Amino acid sequence: MVTPTATRAAQSRFNTSLRGARAREAGWGFGFAFVPLAVLGLFFIYPLGYAVYISFFHWGILGKTAPGTGTFNYAKVFHDPIFGTALKNIAEYTFAVVPLEMTLGLSLALVINQKIRGRNFFRSAFYFPSIASSVAITTIILYIFSQNGLFNHLFGFSTDWFGNASTIGWGIVSMNAWTTSGTVMLFYLAALQAIPDDVYEAAALDNTSAWRTFWKITFPLLRPAHFFCLVVFGIGALKLFDQPFLIAKGASGAPNYSTMYPSFTIYNAAFGSYDFGLAAAAGVIYFVLIFGLTVVQRLTVGRQEAA
Amino acid sequence: MTKRLVVILGLFVTAVALLAASAAQAGHRSVKVTNVTFAGWSSGPDEDALDTQMANAFNRTVGAKEGVHVTWQVINGDYGQAMTARFAAHNAPDVFYVDSSVIGSWIKQGVIQPLNGYVTKSHFDTKAFYPKLLGAFEKGKTIYGFPKDWSPLATETNNALLAQAGVKAPRTWAQLKSDAQAIQQKTSAKHPICLSADWARMGAFMYQNGGSITNNLTSSANAQAVNFYVGLIKSGLAYTPPAGSWCGQELGQGHAAIIFEGNWLLPYMKSTYPNTHYGVAPMVHNKKQGNLAFTVSWSIAKNDKNKAAAWKVLSWLVGKQGEKIWMSKGLALSPRKDVPSIGGRKPFLAAAPYAHGWGFGNPNFASAYTVMGNDLNAVIAGSKTTQQMLADVGKALKGK
Repeated sequence: MVTPTATRAAQSRFNTSLRGARAREAGWGFGFAFVPLAVLGLFFIYPLGYAVYISFFHWGILGKTAPGTGTFNYAKVFHDPIFGTALKNIAEYTFAVVPLEMTLGLSLALVINQKIRGRNFFRSAFYFPSIASSVAITTIILYIFSQNGLFNHLFGFSTDWFGNASTIGWGIVSMNAWTTSGTVMLFYLAALQAIPDDVYEAAALDNTSAWRTFWKITFPLLRPAHFFCLVVFGIGALKLFDQPFLIAKGASGAPNYSTMYPSFTIYNAAFGSYDFGLAAAAGVIYFVLIFGLTVVQRLTVGRQEAA
Repeated sequence: MTKRLVVILGLFVTAVALLAASAAQAGHRSVKVTNVTFAGWSSGPDEDALDTQMANAFNRTVGAKEGVHVTWQVINGDYGQAMTARFAAHNAPDVFYVDSSVIGSWIKQGVIQPLNGYVTKSHFDTKAFYPKLLGAFEKGKTIYGFPKDWSPLATETNNALLAQAGVKAPRTWAQLKSDAQAIQQKTSAKHPICLSADWARMGAFMYQNGGSITNNLTSSANAQAVNFYVGLIKSGLAYTPPAGSWCGQELGQGHAAIIFEGNWLLPYMKSTYPNTHYGVAPMVHNKKQGNLAFTVSWSIAKNDKNKAAAWKVLSWLVGKQGEKIWMSKGLALSPRKDVPSIGGRKPFLAAAPYAHGWGFGNPNFASAYTVMGNDLNAVIAGSKTTQQMLADVGKALKGK
């Protein structure tokens, strides 16, 4: 016969053993998390905090260059007309490139989601620009679209597409929309394949046209993918750097500030003027802007997606 | 007895020999060798090989005698960015390249070692250098680097197009205009001159008109020079190279008849367009001779731990021996009057007395250069006036 005392003792032993197991499990968990957390802290959180710190000082290559603490670097950024131009340029670029990338990516995903011959070839072909080096692609595109290049030769134009202030922005938008569309396509393809077949079967029973099916079923059900692409590729667009850097042969923003983007103003302040305080202030302002935009996206598109 | 004496003598000689060898080895060990790194970018395999050759020559001669061993290190990628990180980490190379366009900023940042003390102590002859080139690395009377080489601009012309038009290489602004008009009328080159939308070319015209980039930027002399330069483009006598190209490429491809580039054009034409026949003449002039000097120094970091040894290396590199080796492949021009550059460089060398070091030692030059390029594009496009541009650049040079 088992006495109540023996039961309590067994229960107590069981609880102790459970607590031990939990503690061990937690220990392992923290142990595994420690390395990535340490890397995150050392290479992301600490530099971020340090950037905020130095943004309140006159800071050069070797540290403080002049006495004084305050928000003067922030004031300088806000009063800098070049930073204003850079914000205008990046806003125009982002508003143009993200919808274009998403439209292209979704169109490609719809094509390769069909049971067509050579589907694997098209998948690879459409995705190829995303994995090719942006330096190589930009260099080739520059040749093709140069004044004496293949494009003008074939279509009879004489425009210097990447040397003209009125066309260079659109050139970068088109090039990046094309190169990124493969990655967008992958996300949309995954989302398309997650839509249950019975929804389409129901639509087919009602004799719904393909166009109506797309707008009333497919497009709304892709909302999580829309939100994801909008956030991820929106942030990616706001960080634009390498292609205009190659095209304008540096961070000059030429011609006529048409390729001046916030990443260039930060780069120029840091590695041109060696004013790291100013560069950090511009970086912090830009970070807050991107963060704010992401929150707005989350509260608008994201809320609809959650619903 | 004799046998014993021979054995004793033999042992004595062996002992002396062993002692001598041991002493020699100990003596050898006592010579402390200081390792010095000299670094820079590499514009190609030729320059890289030349730097290695310099290191080997130094190690064989002065290095072996003075106990300094030097190693060449190429800094790939963005040189300014890489050096900034190394200055900040206090591990910059001992001796390194500094472009004249950044020396002003680096001096202001306190990362470059003044060299006057070493110059005086070692009786280093600074008079062997062209004063304008040395001046590009001075602030006041303090020397922060010695030029390793340089190049000004010259006038390069396409022989076939000039012969077809029946004109010679222009020497003055008036000839430049009349030659271009003749070429435009008589040849297939509808825009005979290639002009970069770049103050690194237009600046020379400002000096030729009696203007200056460092003093009174909004002067009428500067404005006239800008209007002449931009006017050539607006009138169709000149054009700016399309994106992805430069005037050297335009000359090589036969699109441009007249361009203004430096010594770097010569190896480029030889390797890329060997069949294009072109001539090199001194840079055009107007009221006076005017040119820009694109030059690079050897300098030492202020936080360097081997400054004395680094100076030995630096003074050898820019000394007569080092410069003789450096000039052997004709990659650039000699900054020393006593070391000749290779043949065919006379049109460039003529500019040594009046070429102004590009960057002008201005600590705000990098940000001003951004304004220069963009504003010049705006003036060419007609969205900004010459006076607005000059005022903008003047403010930027003052750090405003």
